[in-house]
Amino acid sequence: MNKMKQFKQLFIAQLKLTFREKQAWFWGIFFPVILMSIFMVIFSGSSETEFSANVAIVDENPNETSEMFYNQLKQLPVLEMETIEPVTREEAEKLVENQDVHAAIVLPESAEATSIHLIVNKENEQGVTAQALSGILEQFIQQANLHAVGATPIYELQFESITSGSNELSYTDFLLTGMIALAIAQGGMFGMIDLVEMRRKGLIKRLRMTPANMNLFGLSDMVMRLLFSIVQIILLSLIGVLIFGANLYINFPSLIIVFLLGALSFNALGYFFSSFSKTSEAYMGVANIVSFVMMFLSGVFFPIETMPEWIQPVSYVLPLTYFVEGLRESMIYSTSIFSASLWSGIGVMVLWGVITFFIGSLLYKRSSIVATR
Amino acid sequence: MSVLEVKNLKKSFGTIHAVQDISFTVDTGEVFTIIGPNGAGKTTTLEMIEGLVPPDQGDIKFGELNWDKHSNAIKQKIGIQPQSSAMFDLLTPEENITLFASFYEKARSTDEILQLVNLTDHRNNHVKKLSGGQRQRLAIGLAMVSDPEIIFLDEPTTGLDPQARRNIWDIILQLKQLGKTTILTTHYMEEAEKLSDRVCIIDQGKIVTLDTPSALIEKLTDEREVRLSFLDGEDAAEDANHFSKNLTSVIRTEREETLLKLWTTNPEDTLYDLFGFTKEKNYQVEQVSIREMSLEDVFIAFTGKEWRD
Repeated sequence: MNKMKQFKQLFIAQLKLTFREKQAWFWGIFFPVILMSIFMVIFSGSSETEFSANVAIVDENPNETSEMFYNQLKQLPVLEMETIEPVTREEAEKLVENQDVHAAIVLPESAEATSIHLIVNKENEQGVTAQALSGILEQFIQQANLHAVGATPIYELQFESITSGSNELSYTDFLLTGMIALAIAQGGMFGMIDLVEMRRKGLIKRLRMTPANMNLFGLSDMVMRLLFSIVQIILLSLIGVLIFGANLYINFPSLIIVFLLGALSFNALGYFFSSFSKTSEAYMGVANIVSFVMMFLSGVFFPIETMPEWIQPVSYVLPLTYFVEGLRESMIYSTSIFSASLWSGIGVMVLWGVITFFIGSLLYKRSSIVATR
Repeated sequence: MSVLEVKNLKKSFGTIHAVQDISFTVDTGEVFTIIGPNGAGKTTTLEMIEGLVPPDQGDIKFGELNWDKHSNAIKQKIGIQPQSSAMFDLLTPEENITLFASFYEKARSTDEILQLVNLTDHRNNHVKKLSGGQRQRLAIGLAMVSDPEIIFLDEPTTGLDPQARRNIWDIILQLKQLGKTTILTTHYMEEAEKLSDRVCIIDQGKIVTLDTPSALIEKLTDEREVRLSFLDGEDAAEDANHFSKNLTSVIRTEREETLLKLWTTNPEDTLYDLFGFTKEKNYQVEQVSIREMSLEDVFIAFTGKEWRD
């Protein structure tokens, strides 16, 4: 009964302290939101739009065949016609030369003619767009050929993507989940500065002079931090989904497990930093370095696979890598809680948490004996 | 009846023997003051009694209770105001008191505490906005939330202006009226003299002397300081100095320009003789004073150290 009363008061106090600490709001809420928004605005634009090519159509002698091709080509969504009306070959060549269009397509000059020309700039001949265009046209002509001989195709290519949700992973989803992981991880790593300050001011010692249950004190602190992280998740998700159009397919049991274990592990990391930092400046130094390294090496902003190979092993040691991965699994791929891959990643992360917590408490025990006058 | 018994307390940090052998008992309802120069071992002694630092040797007993077996029970019956006066700066006095009250089995009401330490008007301001004196009063309030039998006040008035200091004295006297036992450390002799029932002077980890303030002063009263200043210049003062050295009751003398200080076992006779001398020589005496002995003199006499405020 007394414990309940004590926990309630401690929790109310923590709630008020967090609410009144402007720094917590800035670094925990405002900063991740701004950072995520900036990255989304900068990087998500190009991957949102699908592939398209700008072409000019040359139809110098309009005829039955050319008209048929022209109408068909207009149906292809990937082709953007530079001009509404077909242009002369000369004009088209100039457009290609000046790189105003990716390519020009020359339609058959008579109803009997059987070839279509694709004109590209020599500089871009091997470029992705030129290659893709020739592929598209090739396919297009194949269809036309089959149609001409009255055959129906026997084989066809069925395009499938392999996410369990109905959408592909877009950069917005990727970044959103990365940012959520980063925000929670930083909350844990930076948040324990309170502990350093409390110790420096003698507040821990003051509490030890009372019959206050220090376990309850720790617990109330932890519950408060988890609540704060839940606010972070919800806020970032809402912004990601509502403003930037992210798609989330959440498996809630997996998310809850990944979230809880992740938040605890990174709090343990912060606790470890606090155990050997005598001043808050020292603590911030350590937390900054660690979080900076993790921020760029753990696949928060860019997939780890895109980084140089020699650096990738470092990424696969860092706990944030697995937290990011776990959150992506549970928030985008809807990975089930029974999936082995989910747990192997979580395992590495939790190992970090357990080891740092253990060393941290050892250092605390030792210093509490030495540091007292 | 004693509420606290300390026996043969010892504590070393490496080669520093902070507390060498300290024993005393504190009775119910008294204000027991520990004074001593910086580094004398006051804080270490207090922290051992408060259960924060384990002693290397010795016993600490609160009635029948000791730290090894009854840690929680002791914490329920003592209240501590530490030197650092640490509290939650982003909470208000009211919130701090409510939180601290939740740690104890029984607690006084928040209103009562606020009233006692005169912070009712500031109950809703954040602690970081309080003045030094208000903060210190809150620290004392926090030490009293559980209505403890024994209250430890570690330099409660250090750094406060005279008015704020007086406010705290009033609180301590109020506690005494309530029958509480107070264990006080201070840097101010006047404070110790005014508030304490007994004073314990510690130096170099040992108790130098322990008694009531008046008894301590009485120990020194076989010797009084008499001061005379002369209008006729240094020669007159020196002449009188020479004369007084031959008086039987005078122990020693000192002259600073026209001021003559002398320590005597019989001020009345000494002054009588001196005035006879000045009348004969026709010297004019500007001022005469017999200084009251204070606890500060006791402190200097026992520790050989000047008192630093």
